[in-house]
Amino acid sequence: MAKTPVEMFLVRLEQYVSGRMGRRTFMKTHAKGALWLAASASLVSPRVLSGAEIPDIAVCVGDAAAATRRAVTMMGGMKSFVRTGDKVVIKPNMSFTGDVMDAVNTHPEVVRELVAMCREAGASRVRVLDHTLRPSEQCIEGIRDACRIFGNDVVHALEKRDLYREVTISRGVSLKETEVMRDVLESDVLIAAPVAKSHGSTGVSLSMKGMMGLVWNRTVMHWRYDLHESIADLCTILRPKLVVVDATRVLTTHGPGGPGRVITPRTVIASTDMVAADAYTVQAYEWYGKKMPADKVKHIRIGHARGLGRMDTSGLTVRRTVL
Amino acid sequence: MRLQRIVQGISLASFLALLWCGATRPVQVIPADIFLRMDPLLAGIAVMAGRAVIVTLLPAVLVLVLTPLLGRFFCSMVCPLGATIDMTDALLRGSRGGKPDAGAGLKLVKYGVLCFMAAASLLGVSWAAFGSPLAVATRFYGLLVHPALMLAADVGLATARPLLRGAGIDAFVYTELPRPVFGLQWVTALLMAGIAAGALFAPRFWCRCLCPAGALFGLVSRRPLVFRRRVSGRCTSCGACSAACPMDAIGTDPRTTDHAECTLCGRCSAVCPEDAIRYAPGPASPGRPAVVFSRHRRALMLSGLAGAGSAVAVLVGLKPYPSGDAPGQGAGLSLLRPPGALPETGFLQTCVGCGECMRACPTNTLQPAGIRAGLSGMFSPVMVPRLGPCDIGCTLCGRVCPTGALRRLDPQEKRYAKVGTAVIDRHVCIAWEQGKPCLVCDEVCPYGAVSLQRREGPGVSVPVVDEDRCNGCGFCEHYCPVGPVAAIVVRPMDALRLDTGSYREKGREMGLSLEPKTKTLPGGEEDPAGTDGALPPGFSD
Repeated sequence: MAKTPVEMFLVRLEQYVSGRMGRRTFMKTHAKGALWLAASASLVSPRVLSGAEIPDIAVCVGDAAAATRRAVTMMGGMKSFVRTGDKVVIKPNMSFTGDVMDAVNTHPEVVRELVAMCREAGASRVRVLDHTLRPSEQCIEGIRDACRIFGNDVVHALEKRDLYREVTISRGVSLKETEVMRDVLESDVLIAAPVAKSHGSTGVSLSMKGMMGLVWNRTVMHWRYDLHESIADLCTILRPKLVVVDATRVLTTHGPGGPGRVITPRTVIASTDMVAADAYTVQAYEWYGKKMPADKVKHIRIGHARGLGRMDTSGLTVRRTVL
Repeated sequence: MRLQRIVQGISLASFLALLWCGATRPVQVIPADIFLRMDPLLAGIAVMAGRAVIVTLLPAVLVLVLTPLLGRFFCSMVCPLGATIDMTDALLRGSRGGKPDAGAGLKLVKYGVLCFMAAASLLGVSWAAFGSPLAVATRFYGLLVHPALMLAADVGLATARPLLRGAGIDAFVYTELPRPVFGLQWVTALLMAGIAAGALFAPRFWCRCLCPAGALFGLVSRRPLVFRRRVSGRCTSCGACSAACPMDAIGTDPRTTDHAECTLCGRCSAVCPEDAIRYAPGPASPGRPAVVFSRHRRALMLSGLAGAGSAVAVLVGLKPYPSGDAPGQGAGLSLLRPPGALPETGFLQTCVGCGECMRACPTNTLQPAGIRAGLSGMFSPVMVPRLGPCDIGCTLCGRVCPTGALRRLDPQEKRYAKVGTAVIDRHVCIAWEQGKPCLVCDEVCPYGAVSLQRREGPGVSVPVVDEDRCNGCGFCEHYCPVGPVAAIVVRPMDALRLDTGSYREKGREMGLSLEPKTKTLPGGEEDPAGTDGALPPGFSD
């Protein structure tokens, strides 16, 4: 990854220009997102694979880092999501204090591998961000340590309101405005990297629910609005280009904080469709000892109905690999 | 630059460094509260009122032993309040010098204040929060100046952030400065303003006329044994020194010194045109004790009586809960004391209201109790969980308490130093009352004391508190989305307050289980929510 001084200069220049044109970049991505949404909503039949290679959902069983890399490769490789000079935000779960085997946070190796792949793809800046619930230093410790090889400025818990910016949710049904991390609004690529876990209020906490970690005020989603509806509202503006669900360990009971029963499927699930990734994950494991169809999770049901993605995984192409 | 100014400057800088950044240092060679522990007035009141030998206050004994040998060096070289008054004097008095405009006859008052506080503390009531110069200075710099500086720094950073982002500099973009806030700021500010306003009457007005610690030093330094102000035969009695002395310690005959007032500041020798004044061991120049106690016996005894009277007023005042062991005692005022606080009576006797714990608290949950705890206890600490929760692994408040009113605990012990119990108001809780899916209290509880249970009626899983697993840390109350008063509130109910012995042992004995959330499910294999045939928590048709 060594760069010549000329290349470095070009990257800097690009950063500078894109930093100055942050708002326009944001508008552009939004316009693209809206088009993509319109297109996907109009599709009723399963998507026809163009190259016959890239599935809707890639599932890889193996060690955390290797499975992550392979799953992303199966989805076409990080280069199909991150272009040279892009600013990337990765949103893992790192809102709790706990060991890796508590399965309340995303596996640090999954996050580290994602950061590495983004950098290999030429990302100019990669940030791993969350708005933590517990004292932030203890929550992000594991992932921050794992990502230290990329420098000290990658993993952050944002606790200051001026790091967030008010946005309107034009397609919001319940939640119509909120404050989102400026880094996310100014980024080119958002990657959701949730750990698979149960959730006492929303059934599961996966990529859709995880978007609540990118906003300033989430308690309002509990007490003023319908929680399930407002999660779907949030997912109309926070649209990850890539979802990587960490099911290397799954907290199947007493989520999101645990302690609960932890199983170890050693699996990583990747998709470009957050509803599909979440729906697949719901159906792949037992929650409180029960197999559950995806439509028993209200925010997934709403997300599907509102065209944010597809929960009917039987109509999607799934490719599985065991390392 | 006089030596005294240099020493005083170093002292003030060390005091501020320890107060502002001292508590969280990994290696604590110099304790963060060392200046407080050097104040013999604070120490004397804590020991007398609390009726306990407090080993951590040994530095104050050392200072008191050194004073008869060296004189009142503490006042001019160590005391941060004295340094502050020197600064405010310079601002308010300008070039008026040391010549007292008024107050010469008021020097006796400080001995009256001392008698007042001593008598009160003999009856078990501590007025240290208002008399100890170190307590006053610690509160001023810790609870007022520090938050003001943090506010300024954070506002500055917030202003600079867009510029830094634009320039592509990431260094401070994510730097987040805490913005602590404290109650009773007006009291803290007015007290300091009043002390500073003394400059209008005389330099070092507080020190020479009011400070009870100064009175204590004056008592033991009337005849310094080793080190003192000496005037040689070169003196022409010009009176320059007498006019410059901020403590009015030099008589009309400049060769005489009132050693009870002299703080060894050295201003006299600096202004002496004949270079006739030295501070050195040797034969004393004639003394001139300004205050002859025998003439003022009546006034001093009255002060003592007034102090005793003030103590009685406190003792027959309304007590905050929990003041006694039996139900119904106390007024039901909910004061949530920090973990490791001594039993309430001993706590109020020993706490000097310095605010060091509040300054050190990383979550800003510790606040002055305010008038609910009575005038004497208004600066004693309480927890306000809505402002911040008590972090499970943090033991800073006990570590910086100079008198042991908050016991020094290791993290294991601290978990069992139960401060209260969380209680859910089911009529306000949005899960219980409105059937909304909310589990924030369960999610944030570090002890696993809150669980979600399926109950008839609400339609969603609802939170329930297990009292024996609740430490009272207040994470639930802090994060509860219901406002402004949370639907789950920590009450001081069942607080574990011990003056000796292990909280852990006692707590276990009482059936408490205050461990962090465990990694595996305890005991039974089947989860209650999974066995009744209903959907798992959070799922719906």
